Amino acid sequence: MARNVLPGFRLGLGYTLLYLSLIVLLPLAALVFKSAELSAAQFWDIATGERALASLRVTFGSALIAALINAAFGLLTAWVLVRYTFPGKRFVDALVDLPFALPTAVAGITLATLYAGNGWIGRHLEPLGFKVAFTPVGIVVALTFISLPFVVRTLQPVIEDIEPEIEEAAAVLGASRWQTFRLVLLPAILPALITGFTLAFSRAIGEYGSVIFIAGNMPFISEITPLLIVAKLEQYDIVGATALAVVMLVISFALLLAVNALQWRMANRHSAAGARR
Amino acid sequence: MSIEIRGIGKRFGNFVALDNIDLDIPSGELVALLGPSGCGKTTLLRIIAGMESPDHGQVLFEGEEATHLHVRERKVGFVFQHYALFRHMTVFENVAFGLRVKPRHERPSEAEIRRRVTDLLKLVQLDWLAERYPSQLSGGQRQRIALARALAVEPKVLLLDEPFGALDTRVRKELRRWLRRLHDEVHISSVFVTHDQEEALEVADRVVVMNQGRIEQIGTPDEVYSRPASPFVYRFLGDVNVFHSRLHGAWAEINRLPEGAHAGEALAFIRPHDIDIERFEQAGSLAARVQEVHAIGPSVRVELAHGSELIEVELTRERANALGLSRGDQVWLRPRQVRVFAAEPAGEEFGSGI
Amino acid sequence: MSSPRPSIAEPRWVRFTLTAVALVFLGFFLALPLVAVFVEALAAGIPAYLDALADPEARSAIWLTVLVALIALPLNVAFGVAAAWAIARFEFRGKSALITLIDLPFAVSPVVAGLVFVLLFGSQGLFGAWLSAHDIRIIFAVPGIVLATLFVTFPFVARELIPLMQAQGREEEEAAVSLGASGWQMLWRVTLPNIKWGLLYGVILANARAMGEFGAVSVVSGHIRGETNTLPLHVEILYNEYNQVGAFAAASVLALLALVTLIAKTIVEWRMRRETAMLEASLSPEGGAASPAA
Repeated sequence: MARNVLPGFRLGLGYTLLYLSLIVLLPLAALVFKSAELSAAQFWDIATGERALASLRVTFGSALIAALINAAFGLLTAWVLVRYTFPGKRFVDALVDLPFALPTAVAGITLATLYAGNGWIGRHLEPLGFKVAFTPVGIVVALTFISLPFVVRTLQPVIEDIEPEIEEAAAVLGASRWQTFRLVLLPAILPALITGFTLAFSRAIGEYGSVIFIAGNMPFISEITPLLIVAKLEQYDIVGATALAVVMLVISFALLLAVNALQWRMANRHSAAGARR
Repeated sequence: MSIEIRGIGKRFGNFVALDNIDLDIPSGELVALLGPSGCGKTTLLRIIAGMESPDHGQVLFEGEEATHLHVRERKVGFVFQHYALFRHMTVFENVAFGLRVKPRHERPSEAEIRRRVTDLLKLVQLDWLAERYPSQLSGGQRQRIALARALAVEPKVLLLDEPFGALDTRVRKELRRWLRRLHDEVHISSVFVTHDQEEALEVADRVVVMNQGRIEQIGTPDEVYSRPASPFVYRFLGDVNVFHSRLHGAWAEINRLPEGAHAGEALAFIRPHDIDIERFEQAGSLAARVQEVHAIGPSVRVELAHGSELIEVELTRERANALGLSRGDQVWLRPRQVRVFAAEPAGEEFGSGI
Repeated sequence: MSSPRPSIAEPRWVRFTLTAVALVFLGFFLALPLVAVFVEALAAGIPAYLDALADPEARSAIWLTVLVALIALPLNVAFGVAAAWAIARFEFRGKSALITLIDLPFAVSPVVAGLVFVLLFGSQGLFGAWLSAHDIRIIFAVPGIVLATLFVTFPFVARELIPLMQAQGREEEEAAVSLGASGWQMLWRVTLPNIKWGLLYGVILANARAMGEFGAVSVVSGHIRGETNTLPLHVEILYNEYNQVGAFAAASVLALLALVTLIAKTIVEWRMRRETAMLEASLSPEGGAASPAA
């Protein structure tokens, strides 16, 4: 490799590692350190306690549904925003990022108010027998809101990069529009769709602020794991909170690695020259 | 299948891409659409394929109206300049695609698909690459796979858009010979677009020279090269010396002015290899002084000055050696073949044309 | 644009239907809540709205929120530039692991992010005894809120700058150094002007998160009114007290912040795109020879 003449490597990397250690790594290490006070059996008891398991089920179940909703509608939205023109398109495009910009507490109280029995939406759903606010459905609504941009923003550049010749080639070969989408376009955008889905899922699992207002927070029914951690903390059960936090951290870290591996694969997928099978 | 183009016109905004094109492509021929970029050749090809619709005019396949037929139903094979292979599919699946998307009742059985794809891959001599992905192939291999994919649906017409444009010179030469042989084997009506005159002249049965949305000339490669129908064709197909009319009087016995043109309105076109250099003056020859002598491969190119006019002459090596030319020599030029056209409107003036 | 010709694309009714479904979805999930915030805030009239905002606790919450952002953002910028400089300009072992670690706070639940600081600095935490012996408060005080905010906003600036600086390549800085510029001169005159829009973009996103963070801050703040209440926490307290107008008045301030964020973000994106287009146009005769070195 050529000699690098630029200055500041030691300073830049040194400061990066120091700041990373102080703000992120040391605090997370404290979490692991604290949980080491527990024996494996104790840890297992807390993590698989009835209430804890129920909360994990609620958290992962609603995050999964929300991420699936966003995968479907995010794909649709990204497609419409890239391929079609309609009045106000730039405005709509900017609005997609609202969940990134709007504080979660604001989203939480607003959604709770909208979907409550006397709210704008809840008022029309309740007579039909749908209760949204203060039920697990409310959790899904909140999680869908806060994870909405991920799939759209991951897919948009990928759809933009599809060469029009690919679609023309499929059409000349006799494929219908639907066949072209299913056999040619969807496989091309699938890695990005999965990445976006995983990002949305990962964000939804950890979400707290928007959910607690709309969920009703009934143990075993609509209590999410982050809320259970806070509840344990408020009862000064720091060890219990720590054990649950470790469970969540491990899962988050696994998801993060999965996303990175996926993105690495996307970047290298069809450029590597070696045989792939 | 024969293709007839009747009065096709197409505009993009203010730009006239095609201006009333009429063209017949007889069954089984390999035709080149040749012209500079922006001349409308690709638009014409895309209209034949159905990927672009004309503003007016008709496309007939085998005498039947096809202008408004959807791309899917035209049964054409199209080869894209940048291949447009499906990158997430293996070579085999790429070639099989057109068979797999057929409606169920027309779709061949899996065994039949396997047989046909394998045959096609053998035809393009790449059956050993069936399980590779497009990214693992060279440019020339990708283009052959693209061709196999287009042939898989047994198209009645094969359309190729600058098929060798993205390849380097050596591969391009190899591949165009191969395309010619392939065409002789499968004998399917084919149209290919190119801006490379050498490519068109070498490969095609017939060459359609296009310029600014119009057809300048249609003919065999020999016809368009040796009897260009217009100054544009003359200039586009190889080097040419253009003499303004004041020179014309000196060579009056060799050629005649076109009907009704005055001496002041005519231009004479002579190819560099159609001029002889002599050491001594003869009747009708033109005095010139040698400026530069370059030996380029098998031939020798001589630049000469006649007054302020620069003239280029191409000689064989033997002839050049016999003459022993060096800079500053006084010589006489004799044209073997001259074509005279009425002077072009000022807008189409191309400079010296060399 | 990348769309194929109309003769290939979907029929008009398909396009119309898809667009309509997408717009209805976005309307229900995005536009309606945004409108609802302001309608609820003004439900009792403008005077009540202004009263709610003039409340001393509301004002102190706004001030604390701004203060925390003012502390967190410069630290984020310094870190982001340093990290992007090291990662985009140099090759070293463990680089991809470092990039993953920088992303880590995005993957951690905000509640866990708050909890880790309680474990470090809380009364039963690792440093708890030492801190109380020296009478230093971090948890249930402003330093804890700042730390939690730093944690959750950690990746924003670096994430924007790393790909941007990788794409720009190192030629310009090498030219500056070869012309005799010192490290700081190169930073101020070459690097920072080149990345200013990306930097601003990262700051806008980090600011929105810093001012809006709820979960992490809620764990470490202790909800002491007038002291450790940020604006999002203030919203929660009022809402739980059934003070609908007060809660939504405070929420509307945050929603306005979100709107400003979206507008600023769109403008910066537009500037960045224009600059990229200009850069590509100026390079096109040479076929983009200055594109990133692998």
